[in-house]
Formats: sequence, structure tokens, C-alpha cells
Amino acid sequence: MVLDIAAIRADFPILAREVAGGKKLVYLDNAATTQKPRQVIDAMSYFYENCNSNVHRAVHTLAVEATEQYEAARDSIADWFGAKRENMVFTAGTTEAINLVAWGWARENLGEGDVILLTEMEHHADIVPWQLLGEEKGIEIRYIPINTEDGTLDMGAFDATIEEVSLVCVVHTSNVLGTRNPIERIISDAHARGRGGAGAKVLIDCAQGAPHHRINFATLGAEFVAISGHKMCGPTGIGCLLVDEDTLTEMVPFISGGDMIEEVHLTHSTFQTGPQKFEAGTPKIAEAIGWGAAINWLSQFDMTEIHAHCRGLGRWTAEQIRGIEGMTVHGEHDSDSGSGVVSFLHDSLHSEDLARLMDAGGFAMRTGHHCAQPLLRAFGVTSSNRVSFYLYNTREEAEAFIEHLRDVVTRFS
Amino acid sequence: MAWGPGNWPDGLQEAIDEFSDVFDAMERYEMLFDWASKADILTSKGWTEANRIHGCQSEAHIECELDNSGGFRMRGGADAQIVQGLMAITCLAVNGLPPAQVVTFSPAFIEEMGLKASLTPSRSNGFLNMFERVRTEAARLISENGGE
Repeated sequence: MVLDIAAIRADFPILAREVAGGKKLVYLDNAATTQKPRQVIDAMSYFYENCNSNVHRAVHTLAVEATEQYEAARDSIADWFGAKRENMVFTAGTTEAINLVAWGWARENLGEGDVILLTEMEHHADIVPWQLLGEEKGIEIRYIPINTEDGTLDMGAFDATIEEVSLVCVVHTSNVLGTRNPIERIISDAHARGRGGAGAKVLIDCAQGAPHHRINFATLGAEFVAISGHKMCGPTGIGCLLVDEDTLTEMVPFISGGDMIEEVHLTHSTFQTGPQKFEAGTPKIAEAIGWGAAINWLSQFDMTEIHAHCRGLGRWTAEQIRGIEGMTVHGEHDSDSGSGVVSFLHDSLHSEDLARLMDAGGFAMRTGHHCAQPLLRAFGVTSSNRVSFYLYNTREEAEAFIEHLRDVVTRFS
Repeated sequence: MAWGPGNWPDGLQEAIDEFSDVFDAMERYEMLFDWASKADILTSKGWTEANRIHGCQSEAHIECELDNSGGFRMRGGADAQIVQGLMAITCLAVNGLPPAQVVTFSPAFIEEMGLKASLTPSRSNGFLNMFERVRTEAARLISENGGE
């Protein structure tokens, strides 16, 4: 089945709006967050208009309906990712999921003498929690550098250090370069050679990978997988940590309070077992339902076609930008494995100015450090521009973007 | 009466009229780039952590002093041309005024020029941060020079 982009776009009301004084919106900031189809908006509106109630406790009709919808969403999402509901902890997103691993697992199980291995292309969400934990527990943090010529990881450096590592945290797909990392090899080698052969655990940041690839937790084999809903047509504020059942038993609550307890006494408390132990407080009910609706909506498509579509737009756009005088494109876009992300910088037009001038033409793109300052430093820059495509973007939009970009560079550089 | 809407210095009023006559955002940006190129620029050699404006997404710095007549004088420098242009217009607005008038000067001229709508919230906040710094510097100069 070939993607029917016109039909897909018809599901996204926001794509029909105009911006910048009557210009047609061309939304190319999908790596930051994707737009939401009508089905997601309707599912959340329906919940609030008809079923809004807290979940898990009360026995009245609304509470039962809310609980059924919330738990059905959990099943849909877990099933989509090839996981059991016992493997999935709802979080606010990838950032909270990574923090849950840091403070719920690593803080309990790692200490002085342990090494956590990150990469130079990690999002700040997969750097800062480890730095804070490392300072507290005396854990050493190491990084796999990147090859700036093609935006790939230096796997030689990985091979040289993996045997001393207890935990590997690596991004599935870079939010700046679109590089899809060799996570299968990293997981396999970490398990076989990590911690002196005893095996290191692995966390995969799938914030950018999940919208473009069908992540299967069971076959992937990583102990931890962190995902955000809003980058795959779901609402903001919802995501999950997928964690294997053995590792889950090694974790302690990171946030505590209601809903995660079994009994509370004045002197102590006992906790739920399984994922519920890590879901304190009133959950993100409508958000979970919305994410479930997004998964159901996405399930009508073949994810390999979505990936090929985005990758094709990214590759063509990167080629065109490279042809504009003064432009540098970061990373390599010729392989089939990366995502539809293109980061670039003009040698005289400041990235902020360029983004503003593109916005004046109706084009929404990202500017700044993309929450990946170490990666940008590796390229010798402090900010860049970035376009990122998703399944509703068209070749015509990419062509219009390039045309306006050429005009801006001609007039303002 | 403090400088504000309906009561701007003559030079600034001319600039407001010039910008507000233009309805195309790209043309307004071209005008702002022209202003940036004509600005009394604080070059990057003069950029220090002490004179850096926080809250701007780009690198932005200002230096403020009194001129020979005791009037306020600021120079600004930024690595983004839109910010540099906003600094140039701010210089037009406040340079030469008694520092006491700078302390109470309204930043509303940026809206009247149709520029606020063209600015991202972060950049708009950056402008307001820059303008607040200008007013703070004016107050400092008053304090250091014994009154108005």
C-alpha cells in the first residue's frame, strides 16, 4: 500500500491553517513534536466530554469507563511495541523515562567503580540525569564520540571500552542528524562483553526512533526503552518506559504517593508490584487514551513506508540545501537507515535570523542547539537550523521550502 | 511626560512611521537588516560576560555610558542581524536623552513598528530583557554620577 498523503493530511485539521499573514503552513518541526490527527483530538475530547473521572479507585460508572479506556490504551500501546503490559510504565515522556532508569534502577544498582557509557549524540535528557547521578554515586561517565564526516558513532571507541561498562545509554536515532545507530550490535555486544563479560544493561532512547520504526521490545532485547507519545501523533505529556521483568524487580520507586501503594501505615508503606509501583498519583488519563488513539491511527500504515517517505524527503532536501552557496549540512543522508531530519547552517546568516525569515514564509522549522549541545560542539557550532519530516509532509512542501530558502539566502546573506 | 505611545522623540517617530507603512514581513526584515548595518556596533572584541544580555537566543551585549553632554549613550552588538537591528532602533530611541528619561522610557515603540508580531516569544522576551538592561544601566549611571 502506498501512502495516500492527501487522505492522511485530511485527518490533520491544523495543516489547513494559515500563518504569517496568510501563508500556507508548512510544518517541518516534527522531530520536536508531530501534529495530531482528528482521531486523537476526538478521543481526548470524547473522554473529557463523556467519561472524565479518576481511575482505579471509585466504583461509579464514570470511574469504571475511565479505567477501562485508560487500561485499554495501555494494552494497545504495549502491544504496538511488542511488550506485555507488565513491561510498561507510563511516564510523562522520554525524559521522565530516562530519569526513572537513573533514579529508580541505576541509583540502587550502580556505584563507585561502575561506568555508564553514553554517546556524543545524545539528547540532553540522556546526559544530564547521568551526570547528576554520577556526581552523587561516584559513577564514571564515558562517551562514544561521533565521526563528524558522516554523523555516525565511532564504534571502535565503543569496542575499546565496552568491557568496563555496566550500563550503555544510546539514542536509537539522532534528533539532530537523523542517524540511525547500530543499536542491535550495541545491545548484543553490551550483553556479551559488558562488565567484564558479565553483561551490561542497555537503555535505548527511542524518542526519535519510535515514530519512524516499529520498535519491538521483545526482539530488541534492551533492558530499557524510553519513548514519547507526542512525537508519533499522540498528545504531549505521555510516554513510557519499557523494562524487562527481571530488571523491574531491581527498581525502587522514583516518585511516590497515591496509586502506587498497597498499604500505608504511619511508620511504613508497602507498594504495588509491577509497573504500577512506579506510577504514583493520578495518571495522565486523557493523554494515555490519546496516545492509544494515535497508535490505533498509525496502525493502518506500514511503518516501513512511513520511514521511506520521510527518509526520501530528508535526502532530497539535504541535497538541495547542500547546493545553496554558504550552506553546510551536518551528517550524511545517503543511507536508508536514518530519519527525515536535516540540520544545516549558513555561513553568514545566523540560524535565528534564518528561522525567522523562513517563518515569515509560513515554514515552521527548528533552530538552536536542539538539546544536544555536545553534538553541536563536535561540529564546531553552537546552533543550527533543522527541518524534520513526517508522514503528512509532501514533496511539494519540501520544494516550496527550498524555493523560499534560496530566496532568503539571496536577499539577506 | 515620560516617553511612550503618542509621545516619542522625533527620530524614533519617523522610524515608527517608516516601519508601520510596510505590511510585508519580509520587507520589514529587510528594513531591520538595513538598520543593523547602520548601527553603532559594539564589536565582538568588546563582548564580555558582564555586558551580556541573558534571555536572548543569540549572543547579545550592550555597553552604556554618558556622552560629553551628560546624555545617555548605548552601543550594542549581536551575532544575529535581527537583534542587531532592534538594538540600532533602541539606540535611536534613547541615545542623547537624560538618563532619568531612559529609566522611564516605554518599550512599546517596538509594537508600534509592527515588529513585536514578527518576533518569537523568546526573541521578544530577549528584546524586553535587553531593554530592561538599558533602563537598569541608565539608573546605574544616575547613581554613579550623583543624581540626574
